[in-house]
Amino acid sequence: MTLNLCVLTPNRIVWDSEVKEIILSTNSGQIGVLPNHAPIATAVDIGILRIRLNGQWLTMALMGGFARIGNNKITILVNDAEKGSDIDPQEAQQILELAEANLRKAEGKRQIIEANLALRRARTRVEAINAIS
Amino acid sequence: MKLVAAAKVRRAQEAVINGRPFAETLVEVLYDINEQLQLEDIDLPLTNVRPVKRVGLIVITGNRGLCGGFNNLVIKKAEARMGQLEKLGVEYTVISVGKKANAYFRRRPSIRVDRFIEGGSFPTVKEAQVIADDVFSLFVCEDVDKVELVYTKFVSLVRSDPVIHTLLPLSPKGEVLDVNGNSVDADGDEFFRLTTKEGKLSLERERVVRRKDGLCSPILQFEQDPVQILDAMMPLYLNSQILRALQESMASEVASRMNAMSNATDNAVELKKNLSIVYNRERQAKITGEILEIIAGAEALTDID
Repeated sequence: MTLNLCVLTPNRIVWDSEVKEIILSTNSGQIGVLPNHAPIATAVDIGILRIRLNGQWLTMALMGGFARIGNNKITILVNDAEKGSDIDPQEAQQILELAEANLRKAEGKRQIIEANLALRRARTRVEAINAIS
Repeated sequence: MKLVAAAKVRRAQEAVINGRPFAETLVEVLYDINEQLQLEDIDLPLTNVRPVKRVGLIVITGNRGLCGGFNNLVIKKAEARMGQLEKLGVEYTVISVGKKANAYFRRRPSIRVDRFIEGGSFPTVKEAQVIADDVFSLFVCEDVDKVELVYTKFVSLVRSDPVIHTLLPLSPKGEVLDVNGNSVDADGDEFFRLTTKEGKLSLERERVVRRKDGLCSPILQFEQDPVQILDAMMPLYLNSQILRALQESMASEVASRMNAMSNATDNAVELKKNLSIVYNRERQAKITGEILEIIAGAEALTDID
């Protein structure tokens, strides 16, 4: 029995095929999902999604959203998702540094909230390239 | 230019179609969760209904001209709304999207603008994210109490209307209320779809039909507090609403451009025809004149003989 994983973003379907196992970052920690998992609904944090198929792990950076798991069918709805292999390391590093600089400059509640979000996203992207385990 | 615009309409259509699985699933799940939470009191930051002291207006226009009245209509609608709000004694802040709106509001420093956003040639999720983040922080910090979206709704290939939709506060059912308080329910949410019917581009609007299949088993457990989950979903809904507004705007802009260019081409062809006729007449008149002179001269000479 294999899991069917569907990762959707508002403008395209990022992933729609069968996998063996996934590890998902949620607001309350990481959860692993194997075939025949009990049906649950969970919020997805800005973090890494690991997918295992054919004995290899793939990473994908997810920018926050929602996941529904039921009957061996996982549907993940996120604002944006990028495969680890699609991210350019140099560019991601630059964006991370920019985000850090922005956070230091930020003043006022609003700017700090925005800068924090941007920093988390940038960090996730950099992690997605590195963490191929 | 008309053909270029026609190609872009296709792209806009594809973008909307690609966004549909996301939006449909989101609506489905939102509905399911809400059903299970009917009896609970939910209090989420994005659904806070506060007394309105300041309204945020997101004005979406295009980047380029040559599209007929498209940009002006949206800006006029926004101005009208600002006038209304002033009369009610409510302040407003503008988030301007698109080079045309930016130029307009830059020339008017009296209108308070929160941020100028310039999009790329095609609406992307990242752009929608930027706007959503801005709106989110404005709303949560209580800088504004209500956020409205002013964009052009794509009615048909020859017609598009500027409309105003209330984006925030979201009603817990995911409803978005119109300015007049009419609810555009998630159930009746419309998706527009450009298709080719009999080789011509045509438009179909369909309403979301709530599907109650066994995909979501009724005993769905929530990993976190349902409130937290709804909290995570509202920004997604916000994002997809904004993206859809951007896409519809883009499609309207492209359709207006197609029409404007088509009219311009027709006018130019007619002008060319008229000018040709006038030119030929002049030319013939001149030649006739010269012939008459020569003949008259020849006549005159033979007479003397």
